[in-house]
Amino acid sequence: MVDFSVYGEQTPHISAFRCEKCGTLYYPAPMVCRKCDSIRDPTTNKGWEEFDLEGPCTLLTWTRVWNLPEGFNRKFLMFGMVEFENGLRASGRVEMEGDPQIGMKLTATTIEADERPGKPVKVFVFS
Amino acid sequence: MAPRVGIVGAGHCRFGNSSDYDVVDVIAYSVNAAFRDAGGLNLRKEVDQVFVANMAAGLFNRETALASAVISRMDMEPCPAELVENGPASGASAVKLGYMAIASGMADVVLVAGGEVMRSVTGWESTDIVATMAHKEAEYNMGLTLPGFAGMFTRLYMERYGLTERDLALVAVKDHDNAAKNTYAHVQIPVTIDAIADGPNADVVNNYVAEPLRMYSTCPVTDGSAALILVNMDSPKAKLFRKKPVRIAGIASATDTHCVHNRKDPLVLEAVRLSAEKAYTMAGIGPQDISFAELHDAFVIFELIVSEEVGFFERGTSFLAVRRHETDLNGRLPINTSGGLKAKGHPVGATGVSQIFELVRQLRGEAEEGRQVKDPRYGMAVNFGGFGNNVVTTILAKD
Repeated sequence: MVDFSVYGEQTPHISAFRCEKCGTLYYPAPMVCRKCDSIRDPTTNKGWEEFDLEGPCTLLTWTRVWNLPEGFNRKFLMFGMVEFENGLRASGRVEMEGDPQIGMKLTATTIEADERPGKPVKVFVFS
Repeated sequence: MAPRVGIVGAGHCRFGNSSDYDVVDVIAYSVNAAFRDAGGLNLRKEVDQVFVANMAAGLFNRETALASAVISRMDMEPCPAELVENGPASGASAVKLGYMAIASGMADVVLVAGGEVMRSVTGWESTDIVATMAHKEAEYNMGLTLPGFAGMFTRLYMERYGLTERDLALVAVKDHDNAAKNTYAHVQIPVTIDAIADGPNADVVNNYVAEPLRMYSTCPVTDGSAALILVNMDSPKAKLFRKKPVRIAGIASATDTHCVHNRKDPLVLEAVRLSAEKAYTMAGIGPQDISFAELHDAFVIFELIVSEEVGFFERGTSFLAVRRHETDLNGRLPINTSGGLKAKGHPVGATGVSQIFELVRQLRGEAEEGRQVKDPRYGMAVNFGGFGNNVVTTILAKD
């Protein structure tokens, strides 16, 4: 008998992409490589390597937002823009005590968030 | 050679809270005003093409296909009409399409109207609806909003160039002074630097929205509309209108990456620079020829950075010009004479049309007493959609 149930905790990840023809890295996914014009088929990703974007990164800038959108039942959230060691950049949430500093080293992980209606979404947390 | 295109009618409603009214009526009000300004409501039968600018009535008001609705509300069938949606740049994009329709020879008279009723939803929901123009996976899903991006942008600018929160407040004081004199502005109340920056209660009056941006660094949520009538100045139809056309000397747009983090330098608004360069080339002038400008200051940092990208000031120095009052109404280069998005308000679909309405008023010499720029020759408007990723620059000339 086959058990199709899925048990256990699954760790969420956010994907970045590498064009296998020329090696250019992307986040988020492009439809065409800006360097060699390779097309990415979003249903197969054939010709493109998909990898988890996470780990050490450097904070480029940040803010603490007090007027959050509908559904965010919090006083404030911090957001930041970071650069990873492979040169890719991303925006996401910053979680730490006190004020972050531009240039500080952080670690990027991914969580699932469900503040808004609909399916949960993947969110970067830089901490 | 393409025909010359001019503006012969301009209408505007008082910006503010119109949430008790149908967005179609709000837009039609300014259309009416534009025809009255041009010489009479009967002139609507001379229109060859209509463009209606709106960003998100489907989300704000559960109304779509607004171009058809406006046409019918104004008794203008069977005139061709299309809706233009380009985020908060919808208005100037509609004017650009109007220009192109005339320049191509497909039309001699074009009506452009823009409007938005945003206060029909809560402020929280409005912020969320506007944020839907960000990249879905990489920005919107993170919980990022336009104030959030502007906060990050401002902090980086401060770090690199030495801008202070007080400098941001100085821009707001100037814009509110201008709006206080503008019949059509949402917030017609001047503010003092003491109240929002220097005084003991400034932290309370001017609370943080997205640090380091405060409430007075941010535009209000505003409803409203504006309308313009464009004409082929070389056509016999131009003589039907009572007012001398204000010529569209240059109009151009450019785009940048959807994701802000994918720009080579997150502090550079490349699309602003490119659209301005193209508009200058089309007009045959440079930044030194501009008499006054309406710059897209949804957040006051934008007024500063845009004034640098279009060549008015060296990079990282615009706030020094504000300290020297160079951008005041009586300064060397008045900026946001209407009060700007900051104080006049920012009904997203209307804003681009409203900015050009202000250029027309100033170039005609019709601005209110105390708000009229002295002897203007060229006026510039920069309207952008997204976080600077789709920008339209317009230059009007008084011939």
